[in-house]
Amino acid sequence: MTDEPTAFLYPFIESEERDVAALLAELADSAEAKILESLTLRTVTLEGCHDQVASIGAVMADRFAAGGRLFAFGNGGSSTDAEGAVDLFRRPPHGRPLPALSLVDDRAVLTALANDVGFDLVYSRQLIAHARAGDMALGFSTSGDSPNLLAGFEEAARRGLVTIGLCGYEGGAMARSEAVQHCVVVRSQSVHRIQEAQAAVLHELWSVVQGHMDQKGGGGS
Amino acid sequence: MMGTMQAPALPDLVHGTADDLAAASLSLARHFSAGATMWCVAPDWPSHGRHVAVEFVHPVIVGKRALPSVSVDGPDVAAGLRQLVRPGDVLLVVSAADTVGVTDLLLRAGAWGLLSLWLGAGPRPVSPRADHTVWLEAADPVVAARGGDMVLLYHLLWELTHVVLEHRGLIDEPEPAACADDVCVTCSDEGRITEVRAVLDNGLVEVVSEGRAERVDASLVDAPVPGSLLLVHAGVAISEIRGEAP
Repeated sequence: MTDEPTAFLYPFIESEERDVAALLAELADSAEAKILESLTLRTVTLEGCHDQVASIGAVMADRFAAGGRLFAFGNGGSSTDAEGAVDLFRRPPHGRPLPALSLVDDRAVLTALANDVGFDLVYSRQLIAHARAGDMALGFSTSGDSPNLLAGFEEAARRGLVTIGLCGYEGGAMARSEAVQHCVVVRSQSVHRIQEAQAAVLHELWSVVQGHMDQKGGGGS
Repeated sequence: MMGTMQAPALPDLVHGTADDLAAASLSLARHFSAGATMWCVAPDWPSHGRHVAVEFVHPVIVGKRALPSVSVDGPDVAAGLRQLVRPGDVLLVVSAADTVGVTDLLLRAGAWGLLSLWLGAGPRPVSPRADHTVWLEAADPVVAARGGDMVLLYHLLWELTHVVLEHRGLIDEPEPAACADDVCVTCSDEGRITEVRAVLDNGLVEVVSEGRAERVDASLVDAPVPGSLLLVHAGVAISEIRGEAP
C-alpha cells in the first residue's frame, strides 16, 4: 500500500486559503481516497490471511468447546481493539457468547502492575494470575514490537495457551517470536489503515469460530 | 472467496460520507481552534469512545498537535457531562441510530451550547439531533462497529481535522448557523430546547439554553425538575421534551 505520510496534510495552495468550498472539496476527495485505500487493504488482507484465519479459528473453536477462555490485550488504540474483540466474543450480535476477558479493562490492576513491576509486565503478570492451559491469548499491536505484548505472549506460551498476534508493517518482533504461534500481519505502513484491517481480520476470525461452534452444537442461541 | 466476509457497500460508503466528514471536520477544527474540548460517548461500544479520545490526545503522527478529547462512559453520562462541559465544546457520539439515550444526550448538548457530531452505521436516524451526522447507511451496525468501518470514520475525522487546522484563514471564518427544525430560534418561531437547572418560586425555572442561564416561566409545564428538557418560546416554557421516542 502507498501510505502515510504527511503529504495529505499540506495539499493546498496559498491562494485557496479563504475558499471554504475548495477546502471542503479537497477534504472530501482525501476522505474518499482513504476510504478506498482502507477497503482495498481490508480485502487484500482478508484474502491473504484466509487460510491462516481458518486454521486459527478451528483451533480457537476447539479450545472454547473444551472450556478455554480468551485473553486479549494491546496498548493505546490497540487496547480498544482488544476491548472490542472481547465484546464481540462475549456479547455477539448472533451465535454463541464465548468467554473472553480484556487485560486492559481494570485500571487498578494495570496501574498497580505498572507502578510496582513496570509497564513491560502488565500483561504477563495478569496471565500468571489467570491463565490455564487450554486458554487463548490474543494481542493487538501495529508495530509488533511492544515489549509488554511480547512478554505477555511468552508467559502465555509457557502456560500452554494458544497465542495469536495481530500486527502491522512487516510484523516486527511479534512475527519473529516463537511465543506467537499464529501471527497475522497487515502489510501497511499506516497505523490507521493497519487498525482498520485488523478489525476486519478479527471480525472474520470471530465468524470462523462461530461457524465451528454451530457445528459443535449445543448452547447456541 | 471470503464466505463470511461482509464488505461494506462501497459506493454508498464513499459518496456522501466523504462530504459529511469534510463538513464535520471543518466545524470540529474551528471549535478546537477556539479552545473546545471534545467529549466522546459511545454507549454500546465504549471502546470506540476511548479510541477516538486517544486518537486526538496522542496522535499517531509525531508532531501533530495533541487536542483535548475525553471519553466518558458509565451509568449516567449526562450527569457527568453536565458538570464538565463548557459552551463551545464538542460532543462526539458513536452509536447506532436507535441506541438508548443518544437522542436525549444530543438534545442536552444543544442546550449546553455544544457542537454535536454523530457517527454511526445502519439505518439512518430519522431526524438526527446533531449538528453533523456522518453515517454508513449500507452497513450493518455491528459489522461496522467491529469490522473496521467505524474506526475508519473517526480516523478520517482526525486526519481531516488536522488538515483544516493547517489553514488559519479558514478556521476563523464564522460558522454558519445550524438549523434543525424546532430547535433553531433564528429561523423558526417554534422555540428552543433548554435544560432546567433549578426550580424557582412563582412558576419560574432557571434553564440553560445554548450554554447560557436564563429564567423562564414554566407554569404551563407539569412539575419540571432539574434536568427536565423544556421547549421555550418567548420566555415561556411551552412543553416538556422527551428525548426518546416511546
